[in-house]
Amino acid sequence: MRITQTKVRRRIFLVLLAFVCGASLLIGRLVHVQVLAVQFYNEKAVHLIRRNIPLPAVRGEILDSAGQSLVYTASAASIIAVPRQIKDKQRTAYLLWKIIGGTEQGILKLLSQPKLMVYIRPRGRRLDEAKVKAIRALRLPGIYLTEEGKREYPYGDLAAQVLGVTGGEGQGLSGIELEFNQVLAGQKGALQFVSNARGEEIPQTNDDYIPPVPGLDVELTLNRQIQQFAQREIQNIVAKYAPDHVTIIVANPNSGQILAMANYPTFNPANWRSVPQQVYNRNLAIWQTFEPGSTFKIVTLAAALQEKKVNLKERFYDPGYYEVAGHKIKCWKAGGHGSQSYLNVVENSCNPGFIQLGERLGKTQLFSFIRAFGFGKKTGITLPGEGKGILFNPSRVGPLELATTAFGQGVSVTPIQQVMAMSAIANGGILMKPEIVKAFINPTTGQVVKTFQPVAVHRVISPEVAAQVRDALESVVAQGTGGAAFREGWRIGGKTGTAQVVENGHYSGAHYIVSFIGMAPVNHPQLVAYVAIDYPRPKGTPVFGGVIAAPVIGNLLADSLQYLNVPPSLQGIPKKYRYGIDPVLTTVPGLAGRSYKDAVRTMLESGTILRVAVVGEGPYVIAQAPKEGTKLPQGSTVRLYLGPAPSGAG
Amino acid sequence: MQNTKSPDFVIPLVTVILLIIGVVMVHSASTVLSEEHFHDAFYYFKRQLMWASLGLISMYVMSRVDYRLFARYAPHLMLMCLLFLGLVLIPHVGQVRGGSRAWLGIGTFGIQPSEFAKFGLLIFLSWFLSREPDRMRSFRKGMVPPLGVMALVIGLIMLEPDLGQSAVIAGATMIVIFVAGAQVKHLVAMAAVGLLAFAALIAAAPYRLARVLSFLDPWKYPDTIGYHIIMSLIALGQGALIGVGLGHSTQKHLYLPEPQTDFIFAILSEELGLIGGAVVVLLFTVLIWRGLRAAMRAPDRFGSYLATGLTGVIAVQVFINIGVVTGLMPVTGITLPFLSYGGSSLTLMLTAVGILMNISRYAHY
Repeated sequence: MRITQTKVRRRIFLVLLAFVCGASLLIGRLVHVQVLAVQFYNEKAVHLIRRNIPLPAVRGEILDSAGQSLVYTASAASIIAVPRQIKDKQRTAYLLWKIIGGTEQGILKLLSQPKLMVYIRPRGRRLDEAKVKAIRALRLPGIYLTEEGKREYPYGDLAAQVLGVTGGEGQGLSGIELEFNQVLAGQKGALQFVSNARGEEIPQTNDDYIPPVPGLDVELTLNRQIQQFAQREIQNIVAKYAPDHVTIIVANPNSGQILAMANYPTFNPANWRSVPQQVYNRNLAIWQTFEPGSTFKIVTLAAALQEKKVNLKERFYDPGYYEVAGHKIKCWKAGGHGSQSYLNVVENSCNPGFIQLGERLGKTQLFSFIRAFGFGKKTGITLPGEGKGILFNPSRVGPLELATTAFGQGVSVTPIQQVMAMSAIANGGILMKPEIVKAFINPTTGQVVKTFQPVAVHRVISPEVAAQVRDALESVVAQGTGGAAFREGWRIGGKTGTAQVVENGHYSGAHYIVSFIGMAPVNHPQLVAYVAIDYPRPKGTPVFGGVIAAPVIGNLLADSLQYLNVPPSLQGIPKKYRYGIDPVLTTVPGLAGRSYKDAVRTMLESGTILRVAVVGEGPYVIAQAPKEGTKLPQGSTVRLYLGPAPSGAG
Repeated sequence: MQNTKSPDFVIPLVTVILLIIGVVMVHSASTVLSEEHFHDAFYYFKRQLMWASLGLISMYVMSRVDYRLFARYAPHLMLMCLLFLGLVLIPHVGQVRGGSRAWLGIGTFGIQPSEFAKFGLLIFLSWFLSREPDRMRSFRKGMVPPLGVMALVIGLIMLEPDLGQSAVIAGATMIVIFVAGAQVKHLVAMAAVGLLAFAALIAAAPYRLARVLSFLDPWKYPDTIGYHIIMSLIALGQGALIGVGLGHSTQKHLYLPEPQTDFIFAILSEELGLIGGAVVVLLFTVLIWRGLRAAMRAPDRFGSYLATGLTGVIAVQVFINIGVVTGLMPVTGITLPFLSYGGSSLTLMLTAVGILMNISRYAHY
């Protein structure tokens, strides 16, 4: 077959057809990229050419209940440089140096960094007005001013764990700062521009300035003055007893608002990085769980009264122990309190009396009241890191567990739970949700954006029963183991508590958590206050019981009520003696023949205001002077002779 | 022979329209770079204008020179081209630009022997195949000699190396051989050999494989080998239907390297949109049509083959270049005829159009 010209032409035509097909393919592809899938490519483009310089928002303040600032952001203008936009780095560095000082070389080095943006450290941060004006006037390309803030704490360590701390980016790390980080943070603004591949702004394109939205102010329920009273009391305790930890909470029982919340050890949030993590990160008032001890008897009493299992005038005989399931559970007082009314049982904090109440209630009722008072679950306070405590598993509660629970052993609770339970008794029987935050306020307009109303969880006991318990607690202070909390005219009711701390699976002999919970005035309580002192170490001689914790609450309630202009009342139960005028006599308990540990525990529980001098060495008290039953003025010294065996019982 | 008529006026018309679009786009695409490198926004524009003018003169002259003159000197031209291709490989004689030792010249003025060899080879093949048209029936006599010369040329060019030029030369050669009446079974066999050779080339230099991969999924290599394609596709997407407007490209702001050369079509599509891009593709299609029409109507086989080859070079470059810009093909480094900033290659391309015009003068029906 010859290759004719016709065949050549046919083949050229085929080539033409192929090229036309190719051209159609190209146009089809252009339609795909530029019309059909254009959104995909445009998103990529925006990502590529839009640059953002973030502008931080001013963080909201944290205020006390009077609107006074406890934390604020001291903000000042700082220089942001976008190195790629700066053509003449030498000149820019020179002009900036003339205004802010430092070294020209240092500034030039920063301007030459291969970053999208740099702060001119250290002199280009937090500038004063004059410098800001001068820099604005220069209108240097690539040099911007932004507001930059630092958290300031005008009251130092005031309510440090409540306020919490912020990290390097200004983000909340603990406390209110963490819990309400979103609210406080506001919204970052941005400076957006269209950039070329080197990050330089392309001329004649639009800049977008998105202004930052400042964060809201968070107003707390904390009363600064009462908080300061609380912290002063803590300082005194620490100076006297060198404890491991101290916690104080003061609340308004009617609204559930927390007026003061203080812990030791504390810190200044401005220097939080120099303290251990557990100090700035743990708010003991809501985190720590421990055996409450006798303060828990209030719950047992309220339950028994509500269920009409007891009448306070009823008599009870305490032989010094109570037999449960074959075990003799001892009263803290050797030999017992003998015959007494149930009111005396409460005043004396007599364990057998409360075991009896527990038995009368039975485990179902007692535990349902414990739960109704809010124990065993979080109170829901708006602070991070709340503990919930531990209750016995109901299926495993036998008679022994029921007995110990009735007087506050074998349960584990947090300080805030105790305060809320006490508040229910103080306010007439309603468990409140604790509130630490009062409102969110717009810092620009001063407008209240959100208010937090008191939240009632539920009714636990009737108002009448609550009133009965309050009266009993007043007489604990006026006539019983809480005597050291008595302040004339303020009608304080309360209860001491002593809990042994389990160390390495055993109750330790020396490690106690001494606590007191009180309210005032009992006829119409305005305040509930709680203190817990973990491992007090009295200097020289041991000092017991109410001596440590009760006066703290006495001082705190009296000072606070006075500050709140609550009028004093003379309607209360009079003290057996007049404070500061009559010599106050205390009965010396019987300690000889017991182990030293037992003796210490007895002293703590009794609220006896006596000092002890120790003679000799050994685990047992072989003799004491003066003898049991002797009446001594408060603060007198009892001498204990120690030996290796409980011989020669006195 | 026949009386000379006036050439097909559509060929120069379309060429000049494309040239004008090219000069405008080169200016728009290069201002940022020119300002950056030479502190003269018109640097590339002025040079493009100069080469275009030179090319237009050459085009006019060639349209008046009888194309059959090339048939007479075809072997001499071929030998000269091979000589230069060898010369450019010698260090210090050939200059390295963009990774290839492909340039002969002084300072910024330079020519690429491969550009000349491209046209030299086509003239040679057209002459060789038209002398004894029936040789194509035999593989040994019809296929081996042209492919041997092509292999020699491509072999020298791959030593520079320049994959793009090689691809264009291979493509145009295949078209001419096909048109000259090669048997289909021979072409299939050659295609198989070509694929094997391509595989061997990739195996020899891994960066070629990377280039191949990058076009399949450029987003996987956004910072390295996928960069060009991504930037190009973003430019196209920005342009959408009607474009961002002449002069308003953002991709030319240092995102696309050398936006005035291989990626001029991306900038054009960004600024003038789908409409601008489609118009350019259609103009090229018209030019290819008129070129092949001249081939079909040429009075002799040499004219037919040469017109096919010259049009083929233009077509193959258009398809490869726009194929790369639209992400259909791996990045090879081929300019878009008449539009890309190109120096001597632009002048040479216009010269080729002049030859095409001359062939169209002798059209008979």
